[in-house]
Amino acid sequence: MPLLSVNNLEVQFALRQGAVTALRDICFTLERGERLGVVGESGAGKSVLGFSIINLISKPGAITHGEVVYEDQNLAVMDNKQLRSIRGNRIAMIFQDPMMTLNPVLTIGAQMVECLHAHRKISKAEARAIALDKLKQVQIPSPETRLDQYPHELSGGMRQRIVIAISLLLDPDLIIADEPTTALDVTIQAEIMDLILTLCKEHNVALMLITHDLGVVAEVTQRTMVMYAGRIIEEGPTQEIIHNARHPYTHGLINALPEMTTPGQRLNQIPGSMPSLQSIPDGCAFRARCDRAIEICKTQVPGLQVQQDVKVACHLYSPENEVPHG
Amino acid sequence: MSDNTTKKAAKRLVGERPSRMKRFLGSHFWHSFKTDRVAQISFLLFSVAVIMALCAPLLAPFNPYDLASIDIMDSEIPPSWKEGGDSRFWLGTDAQGRDMWSTILYGTRLSLMIGICAVMLQAFLGIIFGLAAGYIGGRVDSVLMRMADIQLSFSTLMVAIIVLAIFQASFGAELYQELAVIMLVLVIGIAEWPQYARTIRASVLAEKEKEYVDAARVMGLPSPRIMFRHILPNTLSPILVISTVQVANAIISEASLSFLGLGMPVSQPSLGSLISSGFAYILSGSWWISVIPGIILIAIVLVMNLLGDWLRDVLNPKLYKG
Repeated sequence: MPLLSVNNLEVQFALRQGAVTALRDICFTLERGERLGVVGESGAGKSVLGFSIINLISKPGAITHGEVVYEDQNLAVMDNKQLRSIRGNRIAMIFQDPMMTLNPVLTIGAQMVECLHAHRKISKAEARAIALDKLKQVQIPSPETRLDQYPHELSGGMRQRIVIAISLLLDPDLIIADEPTTALDVTIQAEIMDLILTLCKEHNVALMLITHDLGVVAEVTQRTMVMYAGRIIEEGPTQEIIHNARHPYTHGLINALPEMTTPGQRLNQIPGSMPSLQSIPDGCAFRARCDRAIEICKTQVPGLQVQQDVKVACHLYSPENEVPHG
Repeated sequence: MSDNTTKKAAKRLVGERPSRMKRFLGSHFWHSFKTDRVAQISFLLFSVAVIMALCAPLLAPFNPYDLASIDIMDSEIPPSWKEGGDSRFWLGTDAQGRDMWSTILYGTRLSLMIGICAVMLQAFLGIIFGLAAGYIGGRVDSVLMRMADIQLSFSTLMVAIIVLAIFQASFGAELYQELAVIMLVLVIGIAEWPQYARTIRASVLAEKEKEYVDAARVMGLPSPRIMFRHILPNTLSPILVISTVQVANAIISEASLSFLGLGMPVSQPSLGSLISSGFAYILSGSWWISVIPGIILIAIVLVMNLLGDWLRDVLNPKLYKG
């Protein structure tokens, strides 16, 4: 049985202009210890997906359909008390900006001890010992002193290490990392990503890495999911997706990498921008920006087609429209 | 270089923490206090008032509550530097023959105590309601804030006068005299909670959008814990500022009520009731009974407001000038 399976998940935000669907028909599974990358433009719904897995979408948003099954519990219908015993405990989350995720008025130690106390009945001394051990695991220099320091006394990279240590505190099965390195210095990014990768491997923790950095995804994850306008449009083994992208959007993403252009040439950007969630056109949401759109794209939303071990949502790959691609 | 220096350097590298005192002395807070003459004088005067209040039984030459020590023949003696003054009573005596200096000391004590207790009650109610309104939002927010609006549309004094007058009328002045302190604290405390609740709600609304709150929820912490342990400490600076102003306001409210005869009884005078008791004699030349406690009251309220102003400037990072 997979660790996590998400079935037909739909998330809507009840805005004044009417309900806006941020996620539609999301289906995927995650095995124990598996590392999954979630890629897509800003606004594609990646972060909402991260939050919806622990059922923590802030109002006016809510899961309106589908289920999130963790082990054998459906998190989408759980009450808050049950959810609290999962959050932080079995599923942890790492956010983008470590400057913001630590409470500025509490010491590192206090925040870690508090997280432990929320889930386990242990003494303060025991909690501190666990906290210290986790700080050592994230390779923070002089962990003992860090416990009594405030977040503002630490650098960005150090804070992200602390955030990672906090996420590891209760030995979770799954860590959702929402762009964990975006706010960091380039030199630190690789270090932090490395650390996350090693720790996940060591502890056999599943990782859901939300990012727009395809390079990071290629290095860290085993499987990749590409999202566009609230839907999964392509999903499969990372290597296959990177080297043999099927969906025109994924193609565009990979071609847009600066490494894919010869120096002096313009970057291959995808023309246009993602439609806003309030006005998704009929048919394929990517149609207007797609250079290979065909007649049917205007009217029908493409379903996920299975192609060997890759799933892709594009009419070009449905059996009746099979067009040879380059 | 000696081994010692390397050790010190190493300690600095790993960020050894300076002692609390050292950190305080190096803080912006201390620096700003050191350079602000008004704040220093205000703090000095306020401390003097607090010490006077705390040590009233030690400092006062007479016990104004002890009726046996009062001689009616000593009434309305002017301050000792005036003609007709008595060296025993350097600030003179009131109409009942009580030593003004002792009575003022005890009165300051009562006024400050009522002010601070009332503000503690305000803060307690305001923090709970303000946090709940801001954090939970929605219907809870609407109900609590409408309650606050309604409460604020009655003036504090009006509510206090009505409540205290009804209490006095229905339970008699005897019982009222015994419970006067508690009643004043309750009335002033309850009448002014919306000030706190509104201030706190506003900062909670700003704080709860920050990511550390999301992070705390993701950790699986229960809501009350997030509210009190994570959000509340981050809203402390407005609370501190409003507290200084509110204590001053509470002291004024108490004095006004006492002046109107609804506060402290003459047998246990606060500054307000002293002013009130002397008011009848002011035209007959015994000005000191009202004027001296009046000056003390004004001084206390003024320094508290000045301290509050200074605190607001210091704690406002937008005004930080290095």
